[in-house]
Parts: sequence; C-alpha cells; structure tokens
Amino acid sequence: MSEESISTRRSFLKGGALIAAPLAVVGAPAVALAADDSKERLARLEDEKAIRTLHQGWMRHINSGDLATAKQLHASDKSTRALDGITSVTPDHAGAPDEIMFTTDGRASATYAALVETETMIAPDNTLAQMLHAQGEGRVRTSERGRLKADYVRTREGWAIANIRFERA
Amino acid sequence: MPSRTPLPKPMHRLNYTKLTEAQIGAALAPVAKSGPAHASPLSDEFVGQSVKIVTDNGGPALDYKFTSNSQLTLSENGAKPVAAGYGALVMDDICFFAHLIPGTLKGYAVVIDKPTRRASVFELWFGGFEDKREVMREIYYGYVDKAGADAPKDRHVSTNRAEGKGWFWKQDNGWETIDYWSTIAYTHWVEVSRKAEMGFSAPADYIQINEDYYIYTRTECEFSGTFTIYVADLNRAEQVGMRLGFDWGDALDYYVFRGKGEWLGQIAQFEKLGDVAGGPMKPNPGGPGQGPGAAAPTAKGARAVYRPARTMEKLTAAEVAAVKTSVFPGRLGAGNGTAGMGVHALPAVDFLVGKSFTLRYDSGLVMDYKVSKTDELQWRKNGGTWTTAIYQAFEPAPGVILFGHLLEGEPNRDGHSIVVDFDAGLVTCFNGYLNGPYFANEANARTLFGVVEMEGVATPLYKRHQRTWDLVGRAITWNYQPGLSSMHLYSTPSTTSWIIFTAADAGGLEWSGPGDFVKIRDELYFAYWLEEACNGTLGTIVVNMRTMHDAGIGYHCGKAGGLSMSTVGALGRHAGKFDVKRFFDSSRKG
Repeated sequence: MSEESISTRRSFLKGGALIAAPLAVVGAPAVALAADDSKERLARLEDEKAIRTLHQGWMRHINSGDLATAKQLHASDKSTRALDGITSVTPDHAGAPDEIMFTTDGRASATYAALVETETMIAPDNTLAQMLHAQGEGRVRTSERGRLKADYVRTREGWAIANIRFERA
Repeated sequence: MPSRTPLPKPMHRLNYTKLTEAQIGAALAPVAKSGPAHASPLSDEFVGQSVKIVTDNGGPALDYKFTSNSQLTLSENGAKPVAAGYGALVMDDICFFAHLIPGTLKGYAVVIDKPTRRASVFELWFGGFEDKREVMREIYYGYVDKAGADAPKDRHVSTNRAEGKGWFWKQDNGWETIDYWSTIAYTHWVEVSRKAEMGFSAPADYIQINEDYYIYTRTECEFSGTFTIYVADLNRAEQVGMRLGFDWGDALDYYVFRGKGEWLGQIAQFEKLGDVAGGPMKPNPGGPGQGPGAAAPTAKGARAVYRPARTMEKLTAAEVAAVKTSVFPGRLGAGNGTAGMGVHALPAVDFLVGKSFTLRYDSGLVMDYKVSKTDELQWRKNGGTWTTAIYQAFEPAPGVILFGHLLEGEPNRDGHSIVVDFDAGLVTCFNGYLNGPYFANEANARTLFGVVEMEGVATPLYKRHQRTWDLVGRAITWNYQPGLSSMHLYSTPSTTSWIIFTAADAGGLEWSGPGDFVKIRDELYFAYWLEEACNGTLGTIVVNMRTMHDAGIGYHCGKAGGLSMSTVGALGRHAGKFDVKRFFDSSRKG
C-alpha cells in the first residue's frame, strides 16, 4: 500500500478534527529529519510520543462514546470494523508495560495491556430475547483483560491507526 | 363482582368484544352517578368535608366536597365542580376512594395516608388504547393540602420492595385470587374462585406507602382490560380496593371491596443489595411484543406492556405444510455451536448410538427406533416404514436420556421430545404438533406416558412416570447465555410463567402459558411451557433440582426459521417456593 493511498481517509479531515486529535503536531515523519544518531533518537522519541498521544486520543473518543471521531484516527474504513461493539478501553496498569516498535518501512506497531468492554446484541430469535428487547434491553456487556495490538502508518497528516485488535489474556 | 362461572375458554383464548367508546360510556353513565357497588358498608370518613389534593409534576389539582358517603363534587384544576357517585373504604390510617366522572370515560382512585397527608392519585380512563375496553392509568403523587401547614416533604414511592411476594385474597364479595407480585412491573394472578387451571400475567404497579402498606394495581391487558387496585396491609393481610372493567361477557365490574388474605411466601430478589428502585418500565415502541399501538415513552400512562399475540408470526395451514425444517442447527458434527437458549446446554451424548428399542405408549402409539449415529436415527410409527431423522440426545441424569426429533410426513408436523429412563424402563414424551384450532403454526402439546422395550431393560407392566405438583409454587431462574436469563414461576399445576430480568436484575416483563410437569426421578422433572397466543413455541426441559442445570428441546414453527427443533439449556437457581398447592386441590371449598 502506498503512502498516497493510505492518506486518503484522513485527507478530508477538517481542521477542527485535527485539533481534537493532536496529530497535526507530528507533521512530516520525524525520522526523515535525522542527520545523526542523536537526531534519530530524538525523532524516535517524538514518534513514540505522537503514537502514545494518538492512542490516548483514540481511547478518549471510545470511552466517551464518540466512535465517529475515533474512526477518524484510523487510516481506512476497513480498520475501523475492529471497533464494532467496543464500548470502553482502559489501560490495564497491572499488565505488561506498553511496547512500541518501529519498522524500517516507516511503520510502527504497539501492544498495550488493556481492559476492554464490549457490548453485543442478543439476537431476538426467541421469546425471551424478544421480551428483553421489548424492555429496551437485549444487549450484554462484557469486560475482559488482554492486549490491544495496534499497527500504525504514517500519513501526510501524521500517524494513523492501520489496524487494531484485541487479544484476550 | 366477577362472575364465578368458569370461563368458556382459557383467558388468553377468549375473543373479547371490541367495545366502542359509546358502548363503554353508556355502561358507565348510571354508575358514574350512583357510585361503585360494594359488599361492605361504605365509609363516612369524608362526609361533610372538603379535601384538596395537590399533585406533583403537572398533575391535577383535585378539589373534593363529600356531600354524603356516596356522593361528591369534584373540581379539577379549578374547573366547574361536577357531581359524581363514589365509594370510600378506610383501613386504619389509609383512606381509599374511587369515582367516575359522569359524561366521561374517566375517573379517579385516590389513596391517602392520613398521618402524613401524602396521597397517590390514579387517573383512570377507557379509550386510550386500540382496545377501548382496556383501562389506562396515570399515577400522580401528591398530598392533601391543609391550610397553614407545609406540604409533606416526601411522597409515596414506586419500589421493588414488594417484588417476590405472594398473596391469597378473599374479597368481601367472596371473590378469591392468588396474586403473585412477581416483578417490579408485572403481576401474575390466578382466579381461584373460578377454579382456574391457569394463571395469567399483566402489567402492575407497586407503590410503597410505608413499611406496612403498599398499593398494588393490575391492568388485565390483552385480556378483559379490567383494572384492579388495592392497598394491602402486609402484616394483617388485609386489603381495600376497587375493580373497574368489563368482563369477558361485557358486563361492567365496578365495585369497591375489602378483603382478607394470606401471605403465601417470598421468593428471592436478584437486584444488587440495597437497590429498591421500582417500575414501571417505559415502553419501547416498535420493539418485539409491543404491538404497533405501543405508546411513546413520554405519553400519559405510558409503560411497557407485553402484547405478544399482536406481533406473533401467524402462518396458514398451507404455509405450515410448506415450511422447511431446521433441526438442531449448529449441533451437528462439530458439536456445540448452538446459540440463543442453547449456549449453556448440556453436551450432546452418544448414549443411544447402536441401540434399537421400542417406546410403547399407553395411548397406543408404538415408536420403534434404530440409532446409528450421534445425530441420526431411524424411527417408525406403529410398524410403518422406517424414516431417518436428525436427533440430539442429552443425559440430564445418569441413565436418563432426553432426545428429540421431528416426525417427517406426519400431517401435523409432529415433533417428539422424549425422556427415557433406561434404568426404570419408563418413557414420557411431550408430543408437539401444529394445526391447532387457533393459529396453524402455534405448537400444541400432548403428554404421552409409556414403557421402553429393549434388550437388557426390564419393562414395567404397571409403573409409569406420573404428573407431579412438586414444582407448583416454585420459582427457578434460568441463565441461557450471558445476558439472557428468565425465571420460571410454576404458578399452578398447569401453568408455566416466565419472567424477564431488567438490566438491574429486577423482574420485568412476564408472560405465561400452559405447562405440564412429570416426575422422572426424585428431584428430576420433565416440564414444558407452551407459548400459546404468544410465539407458539413448545419448550420442553428436564429440570434437575440437584445439579440446577436443565436440558431441553424447543419446537417452533415460523416463516423465517421454518419448523425447527433446537437445543435449550440453562443454569438454574432456586428462587424459592410459594405455599399454593392447597388452593388447587379440587376438594377445596371456596
């Protein structure tokens, strides 16, 4: 996938959305600016910071129920399907430390210990479930510990989520 | 009072007249002027007094002048007073009165507790639903205004504190009922005076006055539409109240009553400890079982009312004959892949594989079986031709096998859910079939008793499984999958009622249908519920009271799923038992 093609989803974002998700500060890939080791390390730290900021913003939008804005932090519509049913994501401070890895092709991946709450609809295919729905209910929430595994790509606007998935502990 | 004449059909099968507002108005006109009938003397508590009731949240201001013990005038919100007949009854500190308003289809029932001056006002009216005969109600909380005195700070309150109680009541006119206060928003009642075999479920209100007194209302939605209200003194088991509505013969019931009763028990509640929130639940227009006439959540009198027959899928006999079958989907080959009510099912077993046996029923039916696979058998009826069928078998107790299959080729598309005790040589079959007298795709059921003939099994000559009342009055919760639970209330020897829990694990909507209960072994029962005038399903379960896990098979016919047989299984909890068996003894004198 070319950088051009992965920038398409975010290219329509309005300024307000970018301000809400403070990725604009990342700008051009920091690694490209590196002229020596210290510059590379600095750029790496800035990229890590940008990805952490992106992840925190993503969690904030998920937890506030603003899935539309959360989806704007994804590089493609396809990758937002992973959000279906997720109602909250909380860092699991009892879990393993976060890991952010960079690849030579300008991508990154991260693993976050997390507590993820999902909501699924109980299919109204029997009388009891139909009565639940008649009560305005029929959704079940479950909370599980595990790891969020995310892949990131650079876009012209900054880092974006290429893929994110939850692996149960 | 309600007629003691037995109903010509079960309540859910009666074809209630679609009374018009004009017919209702004509029937109400004379009694609106004269007041409700009564067996006990009316109270003169208010005679000569003026009482002004103020209600909260935009409710009415009611100025009453009581000119006698049966006549009053009422000014609503300062309007011109109108004269009406009324009836009042007093129970210690509680005053109850009710009246209609001449020239209208509405009236009020009012409960006042004198020491605190707090009042609950129930505005009642006909014509608010597509069935005009159904009494609507809106509840206003308030107080009796007293010159120079501050308004009471608190009010009567809707609560779950009443949930799970059971009562027998005998009114002063002789009318007897069992009232299960089974959820925060629904009730289940049995008309004992009619020696009713079944109980029925209807929306209810439960309002706490104080630790001693509660207000109960019931609207017999989807049946006669009759409204009942009473204040219950829980400690003394006494009541005062009123009944308003048209019975199945369209005769008007409008009377105030006193009653005495018995506390029949208290089953468990499942809300978080300390949670006392009450109902009602708001309607969910457009939701399943609500019907197109469901009120908006903000409408006057709005609450969730389950009206399943209105949304039930109904097929013609020709459609029933044509639908495809779907037998234990998801259970074949790979094992447990079932969903819905089968997530917590017991695993299927291969107990029957390699066996050939005959089930000889006392009805004369003889079923021969040859079982070759875990999910495939051959059957033949009365010595006819062999037919191959998909089946599933479960072992709810050692040596006791529940298995089920459809009988392809039978004109009524029968299905058999069968419990065989191979140790005892006994069999009971719940035979589901279609093309009954009401809706062609609605399941009907007959219970067949018999014996097993198989090499190595001693076939009894005289012994049979027996129907049992062991479960009568019991309530058992069933968790089918995360988020999907119900509670069965076996309210009579031939009723299964089912209750759905809210998100807070309070009892919510409730419905009921015919049930049958057979003892297989000690603490092991074969039971069914039949969703008559509901969704048409026959649900059959083996209830193991020792493991508190059931094993079951569902039989259903609809357009989308066709004729289906499916796995049912749930984890149980015993919620308690009401002391009610004695009321169903046919020798009991009312």
